[in-house]
Amino acid sequence: MRNAFTIAGFEVATRLKRISTWVYFAVFFAIAMFWVAAAGGMIKSAAVSFGSGKVWINSPYAIAQTVSFLGMFGLSIIAAIMGRAVQQDFEYRVEHFFFSSPIKKWEYLFGRFAGAIVVLLIILSSISIGGALALSLPGLDPDRIGPMRAVAYIVPYFTVLLPNIIVLGGLFFCLGALTRRMLPVYIGSVLLLIGFLAAQGLLRDMTNKTLASLLDPFGIVATSQLTAYWSISERNTRLLPLEGLLLWNRLLWLGIVALVLGFTTWRFRMAQAGTSGRRRAVAADEGVADVVSVDLRRVAQGKVNSVRLLPRLVWLNFRETVKNVYFGVIALAGVLFLTVTSSTAGDIFGTSTWPVTWQMLELLSGTFDVFMLVIITFYAGELTWREREHRLDQIHDALPIPTWLPFLGKLLALMLVPVVLQALLMLCGLGIQAAKGYHNYEIGLYLHGLFGIELITYWLLCVLAMSVHSLVNQKYMGHFLMIVYFVAISFAGLAGFEHNLYKYGGTPPYIYSDMNGFGHFLLRVRAFQAYWAAAALLLAIAAYLFWVRGTTASWRGRIAIARRRFTPPVAGLSAFGAVAMAGMGAFIFYNTNILNHYLTPDDELTGQADYEKKYKYLDHAPQPKVTAVKVAVDLYPSERQVRMRGQYTLLNKTDKPIDTVHLLFVSGEETQVTKLEFGVPSTLVVDDLQHSLRSYKLATPLAPGESTQLTFDLATGGKGFTNTGAFTAVENNGSFVNGRLLLPSIGYEPNGEITADRERKKFGLPAAERMRDRDDPAGLMENGLSADADFITFEATVSTEVDQFAIAPGYLQKEWTHDGRRYFEYKMDSPILKFFAFQSGRYVVKKDKWNDVAIEVYHQPGHEYNIDRMIAATKSGLDYFTKNFGPYQHKQFRIIEFPRYERFAQSFPNTIPYSEGIGFIARVREDEKDDIDYPYYVTAHELAHQWWGHQIAAANVQGGTMLVETLAQYSALMVMKHKYGEEKMQRFLQYEMDRYLLGRSTEQKKELPLSRVENQDYIHYRKGSVVMYALQDYIGEDNLNRAIRAFLEEHALKGPPYPNTTQLLAHIRAVTPPQYQYAIDDMFETITLYDNRTTEAKAKPLPDGRYEVTLKVVAKKLRADELGKESDVPLADWIDIGVLDSDNKPLFLEKKKIDREAMEFTVIVDKKPARAGIDPFNKLIDRRPKDNTAAVDIG
Amino acid sequence: MSVLEISGLSKTYPNGVQALADVSLTIRPGMFGLLGPNGAGKSTLMRTLATLQDADAGSARMGDVDVLRDKDAVRRSLGYLPQDFGVYPKVSAEQLLDHLARLKGLNDTGVRRDVVATLLRQTNLYDVRKKALGGFSGGMRQRFGIAQALLGDPKLIIVDEPTAGLDPEERVRFHNLLADIGENVIVILSTHIVSDVSDLCAQMAIINKGRVLLTGEPLALTRRLEGRVWQKAIARSDLDALKSRLPVISTRLVSGRTLVNVVGADVPADGFVPVEATLEDVYFAAISGGLDAAVADTQAA
Repeated sequence: MRNAFTIAGFEVATRLKRISTWVYFAVFFAIAMFWVAAAGGMIKSAAVSFGSGKVWINSPYAIAQTVSFLGMFGLSIIAAIMGRAVQQDFEYRVEHFFFSSPIKKWEYLFGRFAGAIVVLLIILSSISIGGALALSLPGLDPDRIGPMRAVAYIVPYFTVLLPNIIVLGGLFFCLGALTRRMLPVYIGSVLLLIGFLAAQGLLRDMTNKTLASLLDPFGIVATSQLTAYWSISERNTRLLPLEGLLLWNRLLWLGIVALVLGFTTWRFRMAQAGTSGRRRAVAADEGVADVVSVDLRRVAQGKVNSVRLLPRLVWLNFRETVKNVYFGVIALAGVLFLTVTSSTAGDIFGTSTWPVTWQMLELLSGTFDVFMLVIITFYAGELTWREREHRLDQIHDALPIPTWLPFLGKLLALMLVPVVLQALLMLCGLGIQAAKGYHNYEIGLYLHGLFGIELITYWLLCVLAMSVHSLVNQKYMGHFLMIVYFVAISFAGLAGFEHNLYKYGGTPPYIYSDMNGFGHFLLRVRAFQAYWAAAALLLAIAAYLFWVRGTTASWRGRIAIARRRFTPPVAGLSAFGAVAMAGMGAFIFYNTNILNHYLTPDDELTGQADYEKKYKYLDHAPQPKVTAVKVAVDLYPSERQVRMRGQYTLLNKTDKPIDTVHLLFVSGEETQVTKLEFGVPSTLVVDDLQHSLRSYKLATPLAPGESTQLTFDLATGGKGFTNTGAFTAVENNGSFVNGRLLLPSIGYEPNGEITADRERKKFGLPAAERMRDRDDPAGLMENGLSADADFITFEATVSTEVDQFAIAPGYLQKEWTHDGRRYFEYKMDSPILKFFAFQSGRYVVKKDKWNDVAIEVYHQPGHEYNIDRMIAATKSGLDYFTKNFGPYQHKQFRIIEFPRYERFAQSFPNTIPYSEGIGFIARVREDEKDDIDYPYYVTAHELAHQWWGHQIAAANVQGGTMLVETLAQYSALMVMKHKYGEEKMQRFLQYEMDRYLLGRSTEQKKELPLSRVENQDYIHYRKGSVVMYALQDYIGEDNLNRAIRAFLEEHALKGPPYPNTTQLLAHIRAVTPPQYQYAIDDMFETITLYDNRTTEAKAKPLPDGRYEVTLKVVAKKLRADELGKESDVPLADWIDIGVLDSDNKPLFLEKKKIDREAMEFTVIVDKKPARAGIDPFNKLIDRRPKDNTAAVDIG
Repeated sequence: MSVLEISGLSKTYPNGVQALADVSLTIRPGMFGLLGPNGAGKSTLMRTLATLQDADAGSARMGDVDVLRDKDAVRRSLGYLPQDFGVYPKVSAEQLLDHLARLKGLNDTGVRRDVVATLLRQTNLYDVRKKALGGFSGGMRQRFGIAQALLGDPKLIIVDEPTAGLDPEERVRFHNLLADIGENVIVILSTHIVSDVSDLCAQMAIINKGRVLLTGEPLALTRRLEGRVWQKAIARSDLDALKSRLPVISTRLVSGRTLVNVVGADVPADGFVPVEATLEDVYFAAISGGLDAAVADTQAA
């Protein structure tokens, strides 16, 4: 035992003397400090946060996140230190000193293991220390810092870091000890990373949560699952408990490692390399033979033909790299990983899509990035050090070959590695497609994506890796620097470093769409790749200049050598690289910063803040309202330009004369104004398009009740390319232009203000409410869709290229071709809200009819999969809504597909733009009970908006979106329920509940009750679904529909004033029986959660074949404040008590009054019960839905 | 035939160790022995001549080639066997030799195959040519090393401590190999084993602490000490006393007794008997600084 400690002590002492240990320490210290400082608001442009700006940066949750997240980047040093703990003895050939000493095998191994663990704990303690010290930095926002708790820093070490070090380190240790090489260790780290990524991929399907939590060796998935539903207040106060899946994960992996360590102790041989294994010396040496004299003159030597040698060297290096078991393992693991993650790729509501090629490409390249980085990094190290590690370097370096030859030979060999892997990925992708029965193999697209785009990125990485290894000339430091590079690149954006011009290899993202191909994204990808290729050339030259040949290792010597290598040809090549880089850089800069406005997220916030500061005083200025819109829209898809000419009719509905009209332009400076004229003479008094505003003073004020015209001629479009986002409204195929993109709105726009308190504070703005109070009189006079108009009349003529079809709300009146352009005239026959969009593309259309309503689906050829579902949903929706709510106001319903640059469908009057990414390629299998027909759901939801949104225009106040979105959700749910049954709905609602609970835990400002929702998705959609479904369960669907119909009748197509939630809830209360009135408060007026569970469920068979089930339940009702701080409230609630059979069908289900925390029920059922409990179908909001039921013990 | 002319070569490592101090040597074709203890600077000199390292000052020329600057020209006519080298363990002798031959510019496949075969035969590795190098014994590996050094008709062959660690039989075999290389080529052999030099070399230099102490032909150098080496067997405990009085150049244990060699014109003390001077005496005298005295003595006498 003493020996073990001596060995451990020596290991620690020597490691601590090494500079690299402290470099690691310093790097993690700095990263942690930077991270916390950024989250704390010190770096103005940084956007780091722990889910919500309301979570303190020193909250236990934030600390645990920081520790486990940064700890993950410790993977590389864990591998380096643990892997080398034993392996170094073989590398430095000192193993026999230890093996020949009287120490036991386990002492040697344990000593090394323990020593390395201690060193890692010391190194990684820098994360806590750095994070804690960062709190005392100046410039932190005091509101972001909570009370200091030392224990919060210590706990994550035991729950996260120490187990991770032992688990990961243990595996690496064993790999290094048994194989006596480092390569397997690095392969091991790749495999673990794959485990983590696979676990994350699996999470897309909710039913995989347990598997994913267990599979992830880092415990990150388990931790995030454990804390996912924590409210802000819990995140600020609760310590990370070691329980549930996290505990199981830790136990599982520690168990695995214990086994592996045991195996290692058993297999490890305290013997020198080569003497233990199968390898025997050749020893076939047959004594002194006759020495044959060589005629040295025959050894004719030609000139070294480098050009001929290069391919050979490349091939040899490449073969050496891939022709071993490790590369095979990596490739196999990659294939396995892809197969696993492909099962959930693109899932929405746990339902997959058809594996179209772009999706395979995203899966292949997206998840493979990290993987490729690791592979390239360590093979770069292996290749660079190959001769030196085999001590063949001196012979090799004295050969009469130019220095660039071996360098280039290695670099090109390295670059072949991703080629092989990409080819493998491609086969893999094709295989997955074939296996899923998708046979539209787009080989060209595969080649373009994998080899034409991604491969170039990997090649840039190859050059970087070789250069780092060449320049640093220290293998492990080289690896580490590559990791640092990767971390820096990944998080530069969060820290406010956005431009790809200074992030090596940085290329703006591109989106492939079946409708629009690579679109205009390709040019910018190519431009940046060319720019970085030039940079890579310079890097490669630097790497060549400093390539170590011979035994000179000092910088002085290397610089002297580099000078000599810098011959005129090299200088010429460098100059070419520099010029190319500068030229491409200038071209890019011209596009991203001059042609376009380069705005970082911070700049955008600054703009918003300035807008508010400068113009807030206009907020309540009386303004006219738009009463009619007549517009001619010219779309130029190939040029990505749009022009809108036409007229607003403005009416002064106020009781004051209006002398100045304020026009807001969403596109700001991108708006080209050719004409803006009022019906009366006017002067431009404010021209501030930078802040989206133009104000006109009317020569004669507009008197109350008087109207005038605003004539406009405006244009905008895409110019060159940008660094990040892109103008995608007008595209080669599939343009989708919201009227607001170009047409002005009238008056100050409060939606343009910054909402998050944290950001407001940064810009010196006072805290402000996100929305007007539910009963705010001014708010009630506006509708939420367009504050500057009530119901309007609408006409539009849209022109486009001759082979495209263009669509606007309304009915097609006329179509003609003129001057090689195609024109479509649309007119709306009834008043609509000022909310319209224009689309154009090369569609195929499928037509159908419901009564006298024409149904048309315009879509991309090849996307026929779900058109029938959409039409079916439309028909059943029209059935249900007209029967239960009221008539449909239009005679036509159109769905128009648009490219997946956005992922939503949006309901305009009689017109639904519908993204290709959310339903057109969904693969709903009828025979798969878990699949959710979400194209059906989305269609029904959007159709419902024709009632909720377009007939009911909600007031622009708190709760407004409940009248629009929650009612649309409810409507869609009912249509789905009737088609697919209650059981499917339970699965759907599981996702809704999950998203509600996740949403509230990342709330940036405050959670509100549903009836006061402030346009919060997780409330009006997700909670809305759950609550409305429960409500119809409580008071009955017909009853509820009656209330909704009454509300609709009262307010349809009316306003101002517009309705708010008070009015809907009054109708609902009117139909709700007295005993359920409390539920209306719980569901709509407060944030109420339950913590219900079943502690015991027993059954005994009765003589008549029935069963008597006895169950004990515990119920708890909680009320949360806006940050999720909970308090108990007394129970007097009606909650389902149910007994289910093995198919989850209820044998007994009845609402019982629950008025005590612990209660017991006995019921008799006809068949054999399987599970029983309280609220078995999770109708109520409960963060632990699984414990609501328990398996029935039959005795 | 060109002569290698080294003059004023100096090298100091970043850690302050002066490995070469103003080294000047003239090396003619044939076998040149570079003798010196460990750490004398031999390897530094060899590596510098083999283009693997730069000197701080000085020059080296071979014919019209500036050895220190025109590295490519040197490498084209260089054969180098480093002191410590390894091999790719999984590659066969033939494969690696063939690979190195290509890199030395043996482009013609037929010629290269002949050369590789000839060298493998010459170094007696032909029968194991298909075997992985990882399984080679130290001697075999060393012979492989000389085989690769002979590739490409080198005019300058540098072998750095090639016999270190070889058993006597292997050493003989290795000496035979070296001896066979031919007389028109410069072969620089660095070693700390005196008999390597006395067996093989027509010229030699003794180097210590970066300085050349002595150069010349081994026989001539030995002759200079003729009649000036004296020997006595003494008790081990008397050694220190003796050393303080007399120019002891070497001591050696024979059957438990200590044989002391001393240089001097006359019998240094009682009990000393004259012994025939060997190159070893020259070496030890040079290293211990006793040579100057002895030679000065000779000149005075």
